[in-house]
Amino acid sequence: MSPLAVRNLNKSFKALQVLKDVSLEVQDEERHVVIGPNGAGKTTLFNCIMGTIPLTSGEVLLDGRNVGTLPTHARVPLGMSRTFQKNNLFESLTVEENVHLAIEARKPYRFGLFKPLSWRADLLEESEELLRRWDLWGRRERKVRELSYGEQRLLEVLLALASKPRMLLLDEPTSGMSPAETAQTIGLIQELPRSLTLLVVEHDMEVVFAIADRITVLHHGEVFLSGPPEEVRGDERVREIYFGGGARHDA
Amino acid sequence: MRRLLGGVPWPGILILAVLVFALPVVLPPFGVSVATEIFILAIFAVSLGLIIGYAGLVSLGHAAFFGAGAYTVALLGERVANTYALLAAAVLIGGLLALFSGALFVRTSGAYFLMLTLAFAQVLFAVAFEARSVTGGGDGLSVAAVPNFGFGEVTGDYGLYYMMAAFFLGCYLLLRLFVASPAGKAVRGVMENESRMKALGFNTRSYKLLAYGLSGAIASLAGALYAYFNFFVTPDLLGWVFSGQALIMVIVGGAGSLLGPAIGAGFFLLMQEYLSSYTERWQLVMGLIFVAFVLVGRGGVFDLLALAFRKVIPRRIRREFGEDPSPPEPVTTQKEKAL
Repeated sequence: MSPLAVRNLNKSFKALQVLKDVSLEVQDEERHVVIGPNGAGKTTLFNCIMGTIPLTSGEVLLDGRNVGTLPTHARVPLGMSRTFQKNNLFESLTVEENVHLAIEARKPYRFGLFKPLSWRADLLEESEELLRRWDLWGRRERKVRELSYGEQRLLEVLLALASKPRMLLLDEPTSGMSPAETAQTIGLIQELPRSLTLLVVEHDMEVVFAIADRITVLHHGEVFLSGPPEEVRGDERVREIYFGGGARHDA
Repeated sequence: MRRLLGGVPWPGILILAVLVFALPVVLPPFGVSVATEIFILAIFAVSLGLIIGYAGLVSLGHAAFFGAGAYTVALLGERVANTYALLAAAVLIGGLLALFSGALFVRTSGAYFLMLTLAFAQVLFAVAFEARSVTGGGDGLSVAAVPNFGFGEVTGDYGLYYMMAAFFLGCYLLLRLFVASPAGKAVRGVMENESRMKALGFNTRSYKLLAYGLSGAIASLAGALYAYFNFFVTPDLLGWVFSGQALIMVIVGGAGSLLGPAIGAGFFLLMQEYLSSYTERWQLVMGLIFVAFVLVGRGGVFDLLALAFRKVIPRRIRREFGEDPSPPEPVTTQKEKAL
């Protein structure tokens, strides 16, 4: 059974239909990338899958279960988590406090009222392990706003990983990065365990072809094409959408 | 060391306790009575400071809970003598009122939240004012109950002082623990960044409600203590003027810290005592001080004291004693939105 499937998803903002009958299936352990020109509805699709915004109609199936009507916070414990296109962190907290919150979310004591959070040995251990693995241990007492952009971007992914998802959604993980940082991030994504299924929205074609097992092209809110990278790379029409402008397709 | 302390400044709390219990030795009898009232209002201000500084919820109706607690003691006290039972009833009623009203209110934020809490408090005010047969209406109600914790009746300036001081320290300690607890950390996370908290899997609304309920219960406890202190309750204890004064205490004292609002309560009452002995228009002066703090002193009196503290005591020692490396930012955005 596929860990994530979207069936006939529609999303309208008043009269504007942003997603039209979108269906896609992410296979187990697949690295699935959604591409498409600006305004194609990529981020809206992400927000609907995660429950950040309500969908108009259709289904979001997580391991075969329809989660399309659940609030975001109820989808996370079922095994999905996301990153944001624009860094969305706890800016005035330290790096460590950010990670603590992310880990706390899935602990039974998340409503604990008296014993201080920093007395929970299991949480401290997990947080240290994560921070060391992602090279942020040395920066743990820094406030997020004191970090470089690249480090913040890294923390963005780290927080999503702290939820221990089986299905990770990355929304433009390299947006705003320097070429060096982009290369580093590609490396990090490639090193993620294969057991983690990825759904990625990405603009940068270099990144797309470096990580994708399968690519879905979104155009004007519809699935235009879905297939392995070679097929998409060779498709004339996809080139046209990206480089020739969408005007001819509107006709 | 900081880890050992769990982010709770235990040594500071101990020093505070010693100071509080030694204070009456140096105060004149009149000063003892003022200090007693300060402790009661400090509990109230700290409860409001909790939702403003740690949950980002600015209320202009917090007197609703204070008044509810005061009327609980005044009304039930006619039939029930047990102090523990009365205080427990006040905490329960305040907490439940906050949970039920909050279940609706925390769906909103900013000015909408402020107006809803104001409206709610005004409804309770109107009930207390109109239901003359029960509450005595605008004439108020005298309090028959006398505090007795099983060691004899608490009477006299000194008895009441130590009682209120103990309750203040107890509430402060409780809230310190709450702020360092998993739930308290999550409450602050929701204030910092609600969309990320949702994406991490937190039910953010329930955390806001938790903070609001806790705050209402403690405000109600403060009101109950006030009934014991003042022997008399009036609808003004539920009114928006009193809610506004509590808001001034929090902002002048410094929202974003727990002790700040308590210092603000002390500052407010002392100013009231001194200024009103010189001029009837003391509120004008208080208003100007308030405006000054909103404009320039964002962290309030607490931040000014903390600044002095940092100049005097070396950083190394402060860290050893568990000073939070990242004290909460003063909540300027919410505050400015609200005012």
